[in-house]
Amino acid sequence: MSYIDLKSAPKREDRLKACIAHGGSVCDLGGKGKKSCLVDDGERGFTQGSICLLLPALAMLNTLPDNVVLMHSAIGCGTCTHSQNANVRFGGNVRWGKVKDGTWLSTALNETDVISGGDAKLEQAIIEADKRYQPFSISVVSGCVPGIIGDDIDTVVKQVQPLVNAKLLPVHCEGFKTKIWATAYDAVYHSIGRTLLESTTSEKGAGEGGDAGLAPYQGLERLPRTVNLMNVSSMGRIDELELTRLLTGLGLAVNVFPVFAHPEGMVTATQAALSISTCPTHDDYFLTYLEERFGVPYLLKHMPIGIENTGLWLRDVARHFGAEEQGEEIIRREEAELHAALAEFRPLFTGKTVFVSAGEFRALATARLLEELGFRVVGIRSFHHDAFAEGEYEKLAASAVEDYPIDIANVQPFEEVNLLKRVKPDLFLGHANGNATAAKLGIPTHVIYNTGLAYIGYRGAYDLARRLARQRKNPSYNRRLAENLRLPYTDDWYQSPPFSYINTRGGVTA
Amino acid sequence: MSEHFIERSRYLCALGGAAATVTAIPGAIPILHSASGCAGNFAWTQNGGSALQVGGYCGALTTPSSNIQEHEVVFGGDERLREQVASTLKVMAGELFVVLTGCVPEIIGDDIKSVVAEFSSEGAPIIGAETGGFRGNSYWGYDLVLQALFRDVVAKSSTTESTEVNLWGIAPYGDPFWRGNLEGVRRHLEQLGLRVNSFFTTRDTLDGIRQAGSAALNIVVSEVYGLGAAALAAERHGIPYLSLPLPIGPTATAAFLRAVAHKLDLSGPTVEAVIAREKSDYFKLLEPLTDCWNDLDLQRYAIVVGDANYAGALTRFLADDLGWLPELTVCTDPLQEEEQQRLVSGLSDLDSGYEANLVFETDASQVIHHLRKKWPAGNGGTYHNTFSPAFVVGSSLERELAQTLGAGHLSVSFPVANRAVIDRGYTGFRGGLRLTEDLISSIVAGR
Repeated sequence: MSYIDLKSAPKREDRLKACIAHGGSVCDLGGKGKKSCLVDDGERGFTQGSICLLLPALAMLNTLPDNVVLMHSAIGCGTCTHSQNANVRFGGNVRWGKVKDGTWLSTALNETDVISGGDAKLEQAIIEADKRYQPFSISVVSGCVPGIIGDDIDTVVKQVQPLVNAKLLPVHCEGFKTKIWATAYDAVYHSIGRTLLESTTSEKGAGEGGDAGLAPYQGLERLPRTVNLMNVSSMGRIDELELTRLLTGLGLAVNVFPVFAHPEGMVTATQAALSISTCPTHDDYFLTYLEERFGVPYLLKHMPIGIENTGLWLRDVARHFGAEEQGEEIIRREEAELHAALAEFRPLFTGKTVFVSAGEFRALATARLLEELGFRVVGIRSFHHDAFAEGEYEKLAASAVEDYPIDIANVQPFEEVNLLKRVKPDLFLGHANGNATAAKLGIPTHVIYNTGLAYIGYRGAYDLARRLARQRKNPSYNRRLAENLRLPYTDDWYQSPPFSYINTRGGVTA
Repeated sequence: MSEHFIERSRYLCALGGAAATVTAIPGAIPILHSASGCAGNFAWTQNGGSALQVGGYCGALTTPSSNIQEHEVVFGGDERLREQVASTLKVMAGELFVVLTGCVPEIIGDDIKSVVAEFSSEGAPIIGAETGGFRGNSYWGYDLVLQALFRDVVAKSSTTESTEVNLWGIAPYGDPFWRGNLEGVRRHLEQLGLRVNSFFTTRDTLDGIRQAGSAALNIVVSEVYGLGAAALAAERHGIPYLSLPLPIGPTATAAFLRAVAHKLDLSGPTVEAVIAREKSDYFKLLEPLTDCWNDLDLQRYAIVVGDANYAGALTRFLADDLGWLPELTVCTDPLQEEEQQRLVSGLSDLDSGYEANLVFETDASQVIHHLRKKWPAGNGGTYHNTFSPAFVVGSSLERELAQTLGAGHLSVSFPVANRAVIDRGYTGFRGGLRLTEDLISSIVAGR
């Protein structure tokens, strides 16, 4: 039995032994005698809030055209959509020239529902949403509350499906159930697979076993030159276009999947000749499924951030299609042009130190790119750790001038502030809503992920360099903040070792 | 309005409102006892809805949180909370720590009161509030934090200072203009010779909050938000309260000041002198707009879409001062019938005599249907008295409605995704001028 046959996707701490609490160093994680925290993940005795899998899941679901997101939880869950809606509007505009808000709803479970159950309310909500918005699909997303009071969204969906026109996609996002928020990608892909790609008329999936195995969905043709380019919302359109440009150079047609893809056309993904990931953290669950069920092979190794990494990524694709020479020619041409263009920025960056913070693979690939631009990496925070990243740590350990800290943390700015006070970097790159701490220390900062900006491929390397030069040219905003504000930490904390609270939960001493 | 769901809710849960409120208290540190994602969800919500304001001294992803998991759901979360509070007191520098509970620990029955009492009995400046998300929305969470302050922080006072008042009714971050709106009202109260504790402005302090028990009056500039705290303060501290609409512009602000002066028995000449001076300034400043106001034909039909504070306050200003035609007012909060009645009667007798048309509708996509009841779509004939020229004063979610109607648009009520607000406010006399500037500027932006 595959994971896809289960009601919901397993959590990643079980499936991948992923972890979120480790204080180590680049040599420790990527060098000789490396010590992985994959087993016995420790817990912190002090923690700050972060996100749960609901946020990345909604970031994907909200982009789907003609889809309504129906949250089944208390009223607060999913209000993060107010910021994600900016991406929905902007993304729709750059793709179709049309600005449109996402449509998201909540069953707003109240005290009565908590006592008597929310299944009936959900049932009525689905029926009414179908009638009012007439969407192609409704994603029914459960938060923590249904997970505790025992509501069963799968059963409700099964019962209501015959009564409505919209395809119903149950998505499990009970935040307390997993500390690895990357489980979100599996949760959404799981639902897409079960609802939109598998046969709804038979109990078994179209591709499962027998004569239908390893073929596109129900009699569709294989598209020999079409590739799936996976994007779970970590790339904006500008980055999609950069990768599409490179893949088109190899004579390939690109099917970007799944963000901003109409649910009705998602079966195209089963027809592709190859699926190409840009980040193993995002896609391993789904690409394994696409291969097992529909015979679509996949590439899941490199992230095309950085000059070398983009080359490695493109080379793998070229090799798959026997187009090695074409690939080498593109890489040669692109690198020559890029290196010449970067020449004016290198003197500004050479020897400057940088601290990087993001989702694991993104942080590591961006760190490599910054090294290529001339920076020296002095610290990295990865939001979690799993085995996919080992190769990236090895690359960074090999290029490190001296050892530096790696903080495996689901954000936890208290550890970051402690580390930053020690390593005093010249530049900090952090995730959305994650640059304020460094900014208040007066460190020049730049966002490491924003769907309106370019980061990926050769274009991304150049644009990032331009933006960093700009940030470094006048960091007065942050400098003035540091002169006039204080951070909310005690002096004692700054004197304590940064990883003091790792493995201390429940009275366990480090 | 659907009975089964809320569309694009314009508020968070009780915990979300409570966390934002604690962040806004000077020197305060919220401690969430909740699942790990709650704090992040609030950060992203503020990022998209609070006019580019995220966190503060301690908010957003800096907020300490117990991040409870399945283990606690099975075995209880009290121990984890105890550990989190103890470590927070070591790591975080704060003058007041406020434990706030989310859905999960409340449903599993954690006993936060006992945990908080353990620490406070040892002298830690810590209080708690039960703010599980299913208990209500963020405005209720705001109220619950104020209640906790009046219960556990505000000292009981044996004396009453006749010139001291407390001011609230504007939820931090829930109203993107919270700082400016509080300051706008505060400024006028100070003109009456009052000393004001307003909890959340840069001029407020925790000491001022501790001494709030000696106030002669609690002034709530809301007909809905913060009234639970007002009732609690009346019972516990014996302070009477006055619940008044959010005052925007000269007419509403004059009425507001007269009501406060009357309640406090302040002398007539003082309040009338303040009103006269402010009014005189207001109209002198407005005077030079008058030619262009006429030349550019800047009067508009209007739809107001807002929360329980803004729906009425904006309508009142447009009708009574600006001379626009607010034909439809939509309040997007889910309210009790009694609360609805209060808002309806507040708009039933406008100073200008304009007849407001207030409806309660949580779902923005339905606003157009409410409008069509009064203003049907064109019938294709040559002559048709259409709803034009029109303007929508609402949230950034009303941009599609404005586009459909060919109307102008300004985001004021949450969510405000498309404006940066720091300390701008619309309350008071000057606030009316700011709002006039912003409305007209949006109309003439392409000029």
